[in-house]
Amino acid sequence: MNQSLTASTRNSHVSPSDGIPNLDAAGFETRVMQGLGPIAVEFMSYSCAYCAAMEPVLQQVAETLRSRERIFRVNVAVELGLAGRYEIEGTPTLIMFSDGQEVGRAEGPDPDVATILAVVAEPFGIE
Amino acid sequence: MMDSDIARVGSTQSTPILLFDDECAVCRRMAGWVRSVARNAIGERTIDVRPIGEDPEALRKLDPTLDIWKVYAKSHLLMPDGTVLIAGEAVAEVLRRSPGMAWCAWLFSVRVFGMRPFQGLLDLGYVILSDVRPIFGCKSCGAPALWARPFVWMVKTTKRLTGAKPRAPHRANFTPLVATSDPKPQSQPRPK
Repeated sequence: MNQSLTASTRNSHVSPSDGIPNLDAAGFETRVMQGLGPIAVEFMSYSCAYCAAMEPVLQQVAETLRSRERIFRVNVAVELGLAGRYEIEGTPTLIMFSDGQEVGRAEGPDPDVATILAVVAEPFGIE
Repeated sequence: MMDSDIARVGSTQSTPILLFDDECAVCRRMAGWVRSVARNAIGERTIDVRPIGEDPEALRKLDPTLDIWKVYAKSHLLMPDGTVLIAGEAVAEVLRRSPGMAWCAWLFSVRVFGMRPFQGLLDLGYVILSDVRPIFGCKSCGAPALWARPFVWMVKTTKRLTGAKPRAPHRANFTPLVATSDPKPQSQPRPK
């Protein structure tokens, strides 16, 4: 198996060509709830075609904002508790956090770079 | 989900593995059909039909080249020799390995001037079926293709005129968490 996979941490992992770590409930607590600075979380599911359309766009946005904001992914098909806790009604849903508090949310945004960049950066005043 | 089952099979599998989208009602019906026809004379399965699941690593244990996004986008058939057949090619191989359908499967290998016209038709049919899945209530399949939208409108209008129970209104770019109107079959307790 790919070394980057075997070296992945227990509660989050990054695919070989993936700049967005997946979080489970424990990873969410440590990296989002206790995380500092601007954080965006995409609540998604691999079976969701809209999430698939969003994927390359989000990768690009994550690369663009790398030094100013962190972006994570939570799979709602696996993390049902997190989906319930944040009242996720569907996918993709982007929630922006600051110091563990939700400061913005977007459900089903258009999957283009300008829109997603605006959605994830706007709550933090990032340009 | 059956991700652990997917991982357990690995490369020792002697029958092909067909991976299908378990969130899509149309795909579930097709998978059920394959399960029923892909059996040899003594009733053994000639194709192992498995849901894709939600674990990218479990898929990569089956085949390191598998990308879960791409597997959800098109049917994948993992052959025992390590090759992966996709979309119409996977359908043709499923038919070849289904004794009841073998009568038509040979057509897809027929070559005319180096081309495989029947395979081409099958590929086209696959694309059409894939594009019209939202008409049949697959909300996780995304927006219908442009060419299919008039048909979606016709279906909705017909249902409205005939008094059929309307589905929840569609929201652009958004898959509701209760993804299908067609409930997944519940597993039955085994009789004692």
